[in-house]
Amino acid sequence: MIEASSLSKRYGAFRALDKVSFEVHRGEVVGFLGPNGAGKSTTMRILTCFISATSGTARVHGHDVFDEPLEVRKKIGYLPQRASLYGEMSVWEYLTFVADMRGLDHAGVQEEDARHRRGVRHRTGARKDIRTLSHGYRQRVGLGQALVHSPDILILDEPTSDLDPNEKAEVIRYIKEIGKERTILLSTHNLSEVEAACPRAIIVSKGRVVADGPLDDIRTKSGRVRYVVTIDEQRSFDGSGKSTKRAPSAQEVQEALSTLPGVSHFRELPTDDRAHSFEFGGSPGSDVRHDIFQLCVQKGWYLLELRREARSLEDVFKALTKGDERLDRGRRVVIEQDEEDEPETDEAEDEDDLDEGDEGDEGDEGDEGEDEAGDDDESDGDDDAEDEDSEDEKPSGKKKA
Amino acid sequence: MRTVWNIARREFTSNFYSPLAYVVICVSLVLLGIFFFMVWGGGFWQADRATMAQMFLWAPRGLALVVVPVVTMRLLAEEKRSGTLEMLITLPVKDHEVILGKFLGAWGLVLVLILATVLFPIFMFKAPWNLGALDTGPVASGYLGLVLFSAAAVSLGLLVSALTESQVIAFFVTWSLLLALTFLGLAADAMTNPVMRTVASYMSFDARLAPFARGMINTRDIVFFLSICFGCLMGSFWALERRKWA
Repeated sequence: MIEASSLSKRYGAFRALDKVSFEVHRGEVVGFLGPNGAGKSTTMRILTCFISATSGTARVHGHDVFDEPLEVRKKIGYLPQRASLYGEMSVWEYLTFVADMRGLDHAGVQEEDARHRRGVRHRTGARKDIRTLSHGYRQRVGLGQALVHSPDILILDEPTSDLDPNEKAEVIRYIKEIGKERTILLSTHNLSEVEAACPRAIIVSKGRVVADGPLDDIRTKSGRVRYVVTIDEQRSFDGSGKSTKRAPSAQEVQEALSTLPGVSHFRELPTDDRAHSFEFGGSPGSDVRHDIFQLCVQKGWYLLELRREARSLEDVFKALTKGDERLDRGRRVVIEQDEEDEPETDEAEDEDDLDEGDEGDEGDEGDEGEDEAGDDDESDGDDDAEDEDSEDEKPSGKKKA
Repeated sequence: MRTVWNIARREFTSNFYSPLAYVVICVSLVLLGIFFFMVWGGGFWQADRATMAQMFLWAPRGLALVVVPVVTMRLLAEEKRSGTLEMLITLPVKDHEVILGKFLGAWGLVLVLILATVLFPIFMFKAPWNLGALDTGPVASGYLGLVLFSAAAVSLGLLVSALTESQVIAFFVTWSLLLALTFLGLAADAMTNPVMRTVASYMSFDARLAPFARGMINTRDIVFFLSICFGCLMGSFWALERRKWA
């Protein structure tokens, strides 16, 4: 239904999109993920024929976005970011206007509209001016206008931004519901929404697709697991099973744990002075929980907590996009990194002069998890341009290289 | 065509959602009344003739300096700023339909205002006053001139609005351009260089409108206004297209 092949978009020297390729098939609900300024909106604007790509092609419902913009627009419903609507019109007037523009007859519209209004429940505000509505209602009107002609394809650009948690949940639930019979491309930087609504995700960062596939695949792609071990700091037991006061030191524990096979990236978690808590990564194929238990028994430590978890989508997202943020997009950067995370999409075959420095290096996320999260939230100005500025200030590239 | 009409209708009615259109219409009619009856250089009564020339002198100036900048400043600038343009353009419309619709919507409002000035000749020369036999020819041609002039002025305002995201900038640029073009004729009189003078008077809206008010319909004047209108609409179209590449 949607095919993008090596879409690139340049704003002057700034490269907003860099050979983005993906496909969305009929009936799929796909999450389009990425940090702010990654090129999500740019991609969507190209797909909706609002702007043109510098190079590359895209087809929506078999129509080329460059050659047949009108056909494309007829087939899709689009909700732009922040759903800007004509504030001075009432909800009803606005939806009628959109229906008129799409050449629908009013009887059909009323029926459609009633159906969707039930879905998004903005019936109460139908006669109100849009500018008097809350963000949540406005967003619903935006969804309403995108659905007014019952499109097969929906492109939603951050439909849940500005909504409160209840509204978010409702919109996501609604998207799931309408997604049963439609193709939906949904952009967001909220991972839990993707996990809730989309079986498949495309992750973009700095204008490139860094991961594309079913959520589970993306999760396991990095293949790393995380262990959390907490050991009593005040007591231990001796061979006969009696408690002693001899307490293990943090260093002792860490040294002992680091002898286990395949573990790395130790990080001490903040605890009170009753326990030592460590987090560390393990290799994907193995499970060292038995070893940890044995180790504790040998040493006579009280094991208070032992947890093994696959990396969450959030971790993967951070790992995939964060490393990339250090790159100075649009310039020639050379990163000597192993590229195990390189997506298997067309990127591999593109003969780009930029040294595909994807730096999908999940090695560091163990110690960086926290500040990465902070960074991701910081740049809330969604503008590509803003992003560019902020990046120019960063020391270029390869901090980790 | 349907989409052009839809956009034009929305644009036209949106003027009446806010008090702005009402205020502009009222203020401009009051101002026109003041200038019509009692202004230096001979008001309606001082002329002592059954003529509407006074109105056709002041109406275009009022349109250029009050009405058109206010009506056109929002057209695209506001839509670009608030992001509604994205919503509008991603509907199945062509860019030129958006431009045409916007133009027609704004021009429609100005035409309504021009229509309202018909009250002046009716009140003076039909009922309740009948001050004499009005020569209807110059009045009709004067209105033709006003209609053409307003089309040119509105398209100019639309072009400016398409080039900026700020209503305020759009207003002042349009206002300045129209001020300059309107009074270029007066400035031309003061010019000594004959070439400059000819060029200035060719470009002056005032000078182009004068023959219409006298009852003379000149093809050159019609072409002048129509070509300004066409050129500005093309310019607006390109300015709108520019988003795709910029």
